[in-house]
Amino acid sequence: MLQCIFLISDSGEVMLEKQLTGHRVDRSICAWFWDQYISQGDSFKALPVIASPTHYLFQIVRDGITFLACSQVEMPPLMAIEFLCRVADVLSEYLGGLNEDLIKDNFIIVYELLDEMIDNGFPLTTEPSILKEMIAPPNLVSKMLSVVTGNASNVSDTLPSGAGSCVPWRPTDPKYSSNEVYVDLVEEMDAIVNRDGELVKCEIYGEVQMNSQLTGFPDLTLSFANPSILEDMRFHPCVRYRPWESHQVLSFVPPDGEFKLMSYRVKKLKNTPVYVKPQITSDSGTCRISVLVGIRSDPGKTIESITLSFQLPHCVSSADLSSNHGTVTILSNKTCTWTIGRIPKDKTPCLSGTLALEPGLERLHVFPTFKLGFKIMGIALSGLRIEKLDLQTIPPRLYKGFRAQTRAGEFDVRL
Amino acid sequence: MAGIRLHVIAPLALAAVSKCARDPAVYVRRCAANALPKLHDLRLEEHASAIEELVGILLNDHSPGVVGAAAAAFTSICPNNFKLIGKNYKKLCQILPDVEEWGQILLIGTLLRYVVARHGLVRESLMLSIHGTNSNGFCEKDGLGRDLTLDKEDGGKSDSFDVNLVSLVSKCYIQGPDEYLSRSSCTDTVSSAFDTKETTSIAHNEDVKILLQCTSPLLWSNNSAVVLAAAGVQWIMAPLEDVKKIVKPLLFLLRSSSASKYVVLCNILVFAKAVPSLFAPHFENFFICSSDAYQVKAYKLEMLSLIATTSSIASILREFEDYIKDPDRRFAADTVAAIGLCAKRLMTIPTTCLDGLLALVRQESFAGDFESADGEAGVLVQAVMSIQTMIERDPLRHEKVLIQLFRSLDSIKVAAARATIIWMVGVYCSLGHIIPRMLTTITKYLAWSFKSEASETKLQILNTIAKVLISAEAGDFHMLKRIVVYVFELGEYDLSYDIRDRTRFLKKLLSCKLASHEPAEDSVASQENIAAHVVEHVFGRKLKSVSPITLHNRFYLPGSLSQIVLHAAPGYEPLPKPCSFVYEEQDQLSDLDKQREAAADLDGSEESSETGDENGSSDYDSESSNGSDFSSEGDERTVSNDANDPAAPLIQISETSVSADQEELRSRRALDLWLDDQPSTSNQTPSALNSNQSSYAKISIGDVGSRVKPKSYSLVDPGNGSGLKVDYAFLSEVSNVSPLHVCVEVLFENSSAEPILEVNLEDEESMKVADSSEQTLVGKANASYNNIPTLIPMEEISCLEPHQSTKRLIQVRFHHHLLPMRLTLHYNEKKVPVKLRPDLGYLVKPFSMSIEEFLATESRLPGMFEYSRRCTFDDHVKDSRTENGKDKFLSICESITLKVLSNSNLHLVSVDLPVANSLEDATGLRLRFSSKILSSEIPLLITITVEGKCTEVLNLTVKINCEETVFGLNLLNRIANFMVEPSSSAT
Repeated sequence: MLQCIFLISDSGEVMLEKQLTGHRVDRSICAWFWDQYISQGDSFKALPVIASPTHYLFQIVRDGITFLACSQVEMPPLMAIEFLCRVADVLSEYLGGLNEDLIKDNFIIVYELLDEMIDNGFPLTTEPSILKEMIAPPNLVSKMLSVVTGNASNVSDTLPSGAGSCVPWRPTDPKYSSNEVYVDLVEEMDAIVNRDGELVKCEIYGEVQMNSQLTGFPDLTLSFANPSILEDMRFHPCVRYRPWESHQVLSFVPPDGEFKLMSYRVKKLKNTPVYVKPQITSDSGTCRISVLVGIRSDPGKTIESITLSFQLPHCVSSADLSSNHGTVTILSNKTCTWTIGRIPKDKTPCLSGTLALEPGLERLHVFPTFKLGFKIMGIALSGLRIEKLDLQTIPPRLYKGFRAQTRAGEFDVRL
Repeated sequence: MAGIRLHVIAPLALAAVSKCARDPAVYVRRCAANALPKLHDLRLEEHASAIEELVGILLNDHSPGVVGAAAAAFTSICPNNFKLIGKNYKKLCQILPDVEEWGQILLIGTLLRYVVARHGLVRESLMLSIHGTNSNGFCEKDGLGRDLTLDKEDGGKSDSFDVNLVSLVSKCYIQGPDEYLSRSSCTDTVSSAFDTKETTSIAHNEDVKILLQCTSPLLWSNNSAVVLAAAGVQWIMAPLEDVKKIVKPLLFLLRSSSASKYVVLCNILVFAKAVPSLFAPHFENFFICSSDAYQVKAYKLEMLSLIATTSSIASILREFEDYIKDPDRRFAADTVAAIGLCAKRLMTIPTTCLDGLLALVRQESFAGDFESADGEAGVLVQAVMSIQTMIERDPLRHEKVLIQLFRSLDSIKVAAARATIIWMVGVYCSLGHIIPRMLTTITKYLAWSFKSEASETKLQILNTIAKVLISAEAGDFHMLKRIVVYVFELGEYDLSYDIRDRTRFLKKLLSCKLASHEPAEDSVASQENIAAHVVEHVFGRKLKSVSPITLHNRFYLPGSLSQIVLHAAPGYEPLPKPCSFVYEEQDQLSDLDKQREAAADLDGSEESSETGDENGSSDYDSESSNGSDFSSEGDERTVSNDANDPAAPLIQISETSVSADQEELRSRRALDLWLDDQPSTSNQTPSALNSNQSSYAKISIGDVGSRVKPKSYSLVDPGNGSGLKVDYAFLSEVSNVSPLHVCVEVLFENSSAEPILEVNLEDEESMKVADSSEQTLVGKANASYNNIPTLIPMEEISCLEPHQSTKRLIQVRFHHHLLPMRLTLHYNEKKVPVKLRPDLGYLVKPFSMSIEEFLATESRLPGMFEYSRRCTFDDHVKDSRTENGKDKFLSICESITLKVLSNSNLHLVSVDLPVANSLEDATGLRLRFSSKILSSEIPLLITITVEGKCTEVLNLTVKINCEETVFGLNLLNRIANFMVEPSSSAT
């Protein structure tokens, strides 16, 4: 079981320490951890499970903050990692982001949350909606109140009503004047285009996100028009497995508020909405590079905020890049970002320029990988369609809303 | 409260938890389950059994939330107490999907362990599939009607995965690390370690089937840890064709956070090593994204090279080509190595690979001129190594490649790569037609460049030219010899002593060759002959093919921490031994009991209508019937097995476990009753269970005092005390010094052959005081420290003859009712520290009261001051055998009273018996004892209620009412313990 959780800032400072069991974990473990990180560099940060001389460490890094958990005995490593991810999710939801200052400003909230989320090294309540009921998220009013009244605690005195019922994720009797339920399909496109310009892999990772504000104890049924295209899926605990197994229908009692109902994957797509055509020629110490970006197949909606970023190879000493549309920035760590935005009707955006190689090098032999970003509102590229959302008992003034959006996930174009 | 880590309040907390464990509110029960590990963490041995009992109760809960927390408690408290699981197994399986996710993870693991321990591995599963082919004969003999198609499939599939590896994996899962170390030397020889008896068949085993059914939907869980745990179960237990199910969910996990990606990949890698064909169609999932961390990339590469097949290799290679140009050169080097691995696995591709690699070598060697980065060198070295492994398989065909490599020596500047190529020169120097002709040129070149080489390369040059010289043909011999001599001379004066050593060694070794003028000349001297032989052996032997799997072949359970860090983490436990746990059938339960149980259930369900607790009782009902089905099925199975192998009976019924089972069953029943009774009669004690039987008869027992024998404990045994044996027993007399003292009778016995002089017992603390302050008056020193001396010393025994024994009386005041008192034993002018352990039963004194007074006092001590425990009692069974004439009830009463009074200092108030009872049924028999605590004069009441039949093992409920909760609870534990102990005085 987990013994201790540390939050470490990106400068190695231990911001927060939460001991979970009677056996104290010394802070020196963080010092060890940071020394290792300094000596081994980034690849150490990417190692989620580390066997230190005294403890096993589990770490995840979110927005520069390292969540470090220690254990001395055998335990499922994924459990620790998954839990840390949940903590990070919950914290960023409560604090509206994650950074050093936010955590330092809201120490009390963070400790209260950790208290509720884990007990004696074993995860307790991780459902955000229940947590919100127990611990009020920080806002201006509560801050004012605490300053004025001096009452610092924002832990509610009553037990969450859902804790005792058979659906622990839902408070027993929420009341809303207007009943609303929104379903969002949020999809991410993962694709790999290889050096020959061939589409090696193209798949969609999607999530069904819901925001339900329904009175009472609703029982929802969501069905898709074409569930057969779904390859893999994972469900929120509220989804009943049987109806899905038998006729691919999602039947569930939703938690209150926002939550992720399911995630899915659609594989073997044939087409991407955007194409990237990079070209590079190198000769006697200089490289000419030109990248064309255009719409391959029009999805019917505008493609927004297209960006293209890549890492210049180490052997490039200087770069001179310009584009006929959008802006190009090169950071000091040789990351180059080309922000295109929308693709204009009259011309094809083109990035071109020269790269000067380090002296002595004739030709470029390592090539960067371009990462493409885009966003399309109002369409799910996987083609997944929601057929209908049924409620068993229809409350008065029910509003159902559906949305869809697709953005680029891990879209790699290799040169 | 459990979080307060103080030993003193632990009993209080335990009492509170056990109350809460029976609370009607789900949340309270869940919190109780959460508190259990904290209590257990305090390591109080005397509460261990009580805590385990509570875990059992909570595991039996019908609310998923509670079960989840209880599962966590189970894994941290008593992971091997499968009895608790066994009773609820089916229900746990069914409830599994509803348990909250964190509980699921642990519960899955627990259930898996239970099934393995109970039934062994599944015969159709992957783990044992190899035996399907080995033991065809067995299958037919077995006659269980196993379908032959399965065997065929096994045969067909066995070439698609590495049979040895699979068996190794499964063996590793079961063997602990210690065992592994002891057996590691002979793992290869130990084949098919599994006894066929230890397996089970999925077609015949409901338990396995239900576990697989219940875990398969969990593969869709949102929590990656749950998915992996479920996949682990399927991997170990599921039949071969069903294992495919786990592939897609596992691959989908790769889309989650980067940290879990790493862990999942680690596990997939193990699966893929055993059965590459599982993942082969999904190779696209392992294509590398630029955002992957380096470790993830490395694992993906390993996966790709593992699962590559002839159909997929083309696209995989194309991917690899892309990776080589990646800016991360370390990764590129790994890619090159992976290409080598692929080429080794698949015979068809080497030519394409080789061309690519050669091109790469050429290109890199140009780039290498200008690059000083380590990464570049790595790529080049890996490329050369990969080529080398490919050539190794079929050197003749790749002669041209070799030549190209040799030619490129000039342009390759990286020492390690050069060394490898030079090594190849040596090894393949006699290969084909062209190479031998090139040799002189190459060696000349090597000799020329020797000066400027790195020491690594120099060593290799020395080796190579030695090899070349030995295999040299007549024409080149003189030339070569001159070169060799030149190089040796250079080497002898090298800066590095390694090279100087090597040179001298070679020079001596080759002295015969160097001296001779003709290569084939036979030297006459035998000594030289030997040297020549040595040379032949050192350099001339053929390359041995290296066994492909040599690296770490330790495997740990999927999803465990140990699998990631590749050593057994503390607390790691392999799967239990197959069939190590034998579930006992509760056939000894009398019919009467069953009837009553049914009645109790009926009562429960009637009342539950108002509490809305319907599930509880109905679940329980079905569960109990299931339980009996299942155990009878288990029995059938063993019967059939027995028929096959009558020499090895599987079930050995031991008395203790049976009684324990019954006890558990009882407590469960009590819980159900209590839960259902709760709303209406909240203050009623569990003993109200027989309230419908109105009239009681009083039994008076004759003087049992005469038969009471105090129990004696050993203080010093003859081994430690050089022949002096000291025993002590607590007496029921009240001390004449102060009410706080306990009389202890100490028996000294000399079992040695020589007399022992000046034996005495003294208090250690007072000794210290005396020593430090040089005071002679021990009593005075103590008196200033505390008013009452802790030990009234005994008379000194001046001499103890051999085989003589003497009794002495000491009076002791214990500081704490649990902590032992340290005393010093003096004899023969030696000092031996000893510990006198208090017996709780004698820290009270009899307090006579009438039954009315008793009841009045009892009613004043409800709630927190009342606690009960269950235990079993079987003394009377032995008694009844010896004295048949007596009345059964009387003998039971007597034996219980005797047992209680021989172990504690109490006053028997009354013995009640319900009149309505039949002759055989002792249920309702109630004995009351009263006493006062020595130190505080607080009254303490004990009630023992009996259940069960006269002639069988009885179940006792021991209830204590006392204001001093901590003391009372400890005494309760003590009583429960000694009631179960077989009595020594039962003759």
